[in-house]
Amino acid sequence: MDEPALIRDAQHGDLDAFNTLVLAYQDIVYNTALRILGDEDLAADASQEAFLSAFRALNSYRGGSFRAWLLRTVTNACYDELRRKQRRPTTPLEPETEDGDEVETPRWLADPNASPEEQLDQAELEHAIQHCLEKLPTDFRTVVVLADIQGLDYTEIAAAVKKPLGTIKSRLARARLRLRECLQSFRELLPAAFRLEEEHGL
Amino acid sequence: MMTPSFRDVEQLSASLDGQLSQAEKTRLEARIQLDPTLAAALVDLRQARAILRRTPKRRLPRNFTLTPKMAGIRPPVPRLVPALGWASVVAMLLFVFTLGTNLLGRLSFGAAAPMMAAAPSGMGGGPAATQPPVTDNMQVIPTAETFVMTAPEATPSDETRLVAPAAPPATKATPEPVNIWPYIWLGLAAVLIAAALLIRRASVQAFRRKMGGKHNT
Repeated sequence: MDEPALIRDAQHGDLDAFNTLVLAYQDIVYNTALRILGDEDLAADASQEAFLSAFRALNSYRGGSFRAWLLRTVTNACYDELRRKQRRPTTPLEPETEDGDEVETPRWLADPNASPEEQLDQAELEHAIQHCLEKLPTDFRTVVVLADIQGLDYTEIAAAVKKPLGTIKSRLARARLRLRECLQSFRELLPAAFRLEEEHGL
Repeated sequence: MMTPSFRDVEQLSASLDGQLSQAEKTRLEARIQLDPTLAAALVDLRQARAILRRTPKRRLPRNFTLTPKMAGIRPPVPRLVPALGWASVVAMLLFVFTLGTNLLGRLSFGAAAPMMAAAPSGMGGGPAATQPPVTDNMQVIPTAETFVMTAPEATPSDETRLVAPAAPPATKATPEPVNIWPYIWLGLAAVLIAAALLIRRASVQAFRRKMGGKHNT
């Protein structure tokens, strides 16, 4: 994919070129929105809104990491959704039983191609992570999602959230600490997740 | 055992991401060797990061590609359409003007007729000298040769109910010429509007074929 050429064509109004970029980035955009918002429908709305905003504002892109620029539009769309969410009643992430009770372990989240055990592990892990992410302030959550889930480097994150590197470093450290404390409470539920590969050195 | 300061935690977190200079890294490694709380904090941070990295990726519920409609891209307007639009407006104005003048003409003709009829009976002039004498019970039935007009305002009494047979050559009905201009303008306007719509439709279909072809590939 010749990204610069596609961006140039899209800037001249070529929707086909822009849609090629959408196909390349929609996975990271949607999953980022999902982790920030914690709701599939809202994440889909925010992703669509982000791509629409990106197409309209494409001429304001002045080079650099296109992924970071795109993620900035999606984080803005997520903040808009969160503001709207605060003004209206929310629905829980977990599905409800016929009696209206929340299902404790959302197995409906799992990958159907995985074995039942893997599905269970994945679902529990995802549930725990999402639960702990949602306990973080939005700014911290965004930074940790971009860094540790999407794998952006500090410079890209700084571009995506429009904050200096020092702020990114600080927010990421705080977010990791808080997540670690929160995830401790899921230790019993997440035996597989805590059997981490040994990472050596700094 | 003391908990590490936030500055230390920040350094440890940055070190995990390779964001420290070589000198900072060496200093931190030396401190970790001496301070087990720093080593424990490093393990905690590393574990948190490792768990987050294992967050399952969700499959997309749908594609987020934009359609021309969503992107606000409209089919190009053919150059002829504005011209045809203006031509239609002009034709309609001419039609309304012609219809209006024609209608006014008819109204003025309709208003003049009663006046003409009222003159002999209502103005006290009585029957014209050439008219035959009229008696109280006499009725005149108009024939094909005579054209009788009565004044609607006249309140006929027993004496004046009967109207004189006025048959002057001037009041004889003459066939009006048919004004065909309104129909011509109307037809022209219809043709122009139809042409504009057809051109527009062809243009939109061509645009859709083009965009559809692109998106289906």
